[in-house]
Amino acid sequence: MNEDRPLGKFTQSKLDRCISCGYCLPACPTYQLTGEEQSSPRGRITLMRALQDGRLPFADAGAQEQASFCLGCRACEPVCPAGVEYGVLLEEWRDITWRGRKRPLIIKALFQMVNAPWRVNLMSALSPIARNRRASTDVHLALGCFERRLFPKVSKAVARLAPEVSIDRSQGCCGALHAHNGDLEGGNELAKQLGEKLPGTILSTAGGCAAHLSSVLGKDRVQEFSQWWEQSLSPIMKNGKPIRVGLQDSCHLRNGMGVFKEPRKILQQLGEYVEVPNAQGCCGAAGSYSLLRSRDSKRVIAPKVAAIKALELDFLVSVNPGCTRQLKSALRKARMKTKVVHIAELIALAP
Amino acid sequence: MADTPLAQALRTLLGPDRVLDDPAAREAYSRDATPLFKGLPEVIVTPHSTAEVSEVVKFARQSKTPIIARGAGSNLCAATVPLQGGIVLSMMQMKQILEVSRNELLAVVQPGVSTQQLDDAVAKEGLMYVPDPGSKTVSTIGGNVATSAGGLRGLKYGTTKNYILALEAVLGTGEIIRTGGRLVKDVAGYDITRLLIGSEGTLAIFTEITTVLSPRPKASKYGVAYFNNLADASVAVDSIVASGILPATLEFLDNTCIKAVEDFAHLGLDKDAGALLLFGDDGSAESVAKAVTEMADISASARGVRAVTLAPDVAAAEALLYARRCSLPALARLGSMSILEDISVPRPQMSKAADAIERIGEKYSLLIGTFGHAGDGNLHPTIVINKDDADEVARAEKSLADIFNLALDLGGTITGEHGVGSAKLPYLRQKLGDVSLALHRNIKSVFDPDGILNPGRVGS
Repeated sequence: MNEDRPLGKFTQSKLDRCISCGYCLPACPTYQLTGEEQSSPRGRITLMRALQDGRLPFADAGAQEQASFCLGCRACEPVCPAGVEYGVLLEEWRDITWRGRKRPLIIKALFQMVNAPWRVNLMSALSPIARNRRASTDVHLALGCFERRLFPKVSKAVARLAPEVSIDRSQGCCGALHAHNGDLEGGNELAKQLGEKLPGTILSTAGGCAAHLSSVLGKDRVQEFSQWWEQSLSPIMKNGKPIRVGLQDSCHLRNGMGVFKEPRKILQQLGEYVEVPNAQGCCGAAGSYSLLRSRDSKRVIAPKVAAIKALELDFLVSVNPGCTRQLKSALRKARMKTKVVHIAELIALAP
Repeated sequence: MADTPLAQALRTLLGPDRVLDDPAAREAYSRDATPLFKGLPEVIVTPHSTAEVSEVVKFARQSKTPIIARGAGSNLCAATVPLQGGIVLSMMQMKQILEVSRNELLAVVQPGVSTQQLDDAVAKEGLMYVPDPGSKTVSTIGGNVATSAGGLRGLKYGTTKNYILALEAVLGTGEIIRTGGRLVKDVAGYDITRLLIGSEGTLAIFTEITTVLSPRPKASKYGVAYFNNLADASVAVDSIVASGILPATLEFLDNTCIKAVEDFAHLGLDKDAGALLLFGDDGSAESVAKAVTEMADISASARGVRAVTLAPDVAAAEALLYARRCSLPALARLGSMSILEDISVPRPQMSKAADAIERIGEKYSLLIGTFGHAGDGNLHPTIVINKDDADEVARAEKSLADIFNLALDLGGTITGEHGVGSAKLPYLRQKLGDVSLALHRNIKSVFDPDGILNPGRVGS
């Protein structure tokens, strides 16, 4: 715990950064839904200040609702002229309010599933993920915990595309889940453990994990897959024409790590790249959000589905497993033919 | 929490989904973008139609409850802080662009539409909504009209007040008035439209706004000149305008701003220069190229010039514009609080004003960075302080009085484009004089006989 952050409080200097200009309002998906100040980043920081000064109790229902309603997408950060680290403030807020018995049950259950490497391994025991191997270079693949269970093809694609990458299936969780859901210390600890387990460069196929790992271990230790990929590629053809392909950004990859040009550059080589309207806007998955607040999550993705439908894409590319899950389910419900894949899976299809 | 009688009555009137009164919501609406001002509203009401606005006003009139109309809350004069409690009327659900007419060159919008949304919508038709306040991505048209917002193109294009044709508004009696029309010319009766523009929610609440549009310029070009000090830059600006050029952009930064911006954004600015002048124009490609070259030539032969360069491409131009736009946040990082002022002086007095502001900073040992709109004499001296240092806060407040006196002595004003709100209210009498202030009061009482519309502010 740092000096500037007393127990049960926010880091004062981080709260002071906000000049309340309101430039964050148009970027915020929850403000877009409600038009209400308290569900904007500026409004939430006003609430945090009231909590910090004791004008509002941390138990206040309206304040708790806002800590939970926030997607944590950090779209407010790139547009903030004052450099407010909103993502950190939100993590601190949940770290204070979602402690012990107050932690949502779903979050407790998710924590239980990944708290130790053996549990992560148990969860993915039957998933056909990439095999263990020790490669020549000092690049290690982070397998993700839910990613290996839900989308085993992603690690297999990376294994095939990049023989120089080492794979160790006994690794645990990176702790992003914990940091975003009220256990900052646990989140830091797990990231450090993974950092020790995977020496050298950690290669991640999940924007959310990459951003968390790089915030704890440092930028130079972590590379997200599209950021790391350097080889040039040939177009994938369908019915004699290059495929039509779009991208949904990963919020933390874009807003936390500033990586958004890289995946686009790759997709421009793989086919006819079409920019999805508001591709940078959160898809509503937001990690555990789609489980905790399923209704709001669906409200966030609804306009996106309509926009994607109009583009008639062959593939919609995701760079984060949470987004992949959210988009697959939404596009399936809309009876769309567009396939949702991870960028590594699409590269693996290239001739 | 049990409903207050006020919230209960409003819920009965409009339905529960229009009314917020929980402590968190009230806290969130207790301030706007202005530092140091804060006041809790009793309730927040979000009307969806003109009829609902009228109903709320009629209801509030019975109990003499204050109503503070609010858009995005990005104003810098504490115009929407509910210092007397009451109802904050959030106009953010009245956000339809009702019409864009290409052949009439106008748009009809509801007040909650953001300035950027309107400009984006009309850009599809090859048109432009001209006023561009610094906060255009967030600010609303309703808020722009209420404060007669300015921006970076004042000299060539004017400000919000030059772009409003007609208004629909609800008076303090709850009556609905329509002013102006889809008319360029209309001299029937007093110009109520113009009177309501800049009235900061004290005379009426806007419910529909008809704006003028212009054809979108085909090209734009920018350049930068460095000078030894602001006074030299101001003289160059005078020479540019005197030569017959009417440029869209003439912005400047003083040395404190240049250093802050460079340390923050690393744009390669000359940190040793006393002043940076950003010049540019828009229009046809030929006219733009000619104007910008002439401005560069005039600057290059002006007194105290250090260097002049033209932005070779869009990226370089963007970097220059960004240097200007990020002045405030860059300065804000130097302390825990920044007070942004907004005086305006006749352009030939600008060099005097700039010099005097520097001396005021020395007198009170304060860090003051000045940037502003050199083309129209609108200066933004920004005082950067540590909010926990009571002595420094007190010195800052004293320096403000000096800055306002300075502006008035030079034939200027206490606010060029931000508004009076609560922040500049103590200095309003000095600017207007007793006769004008009394007239303001009388006007206010005609529009709002019970004094419920944004009470305590202009003319109250």
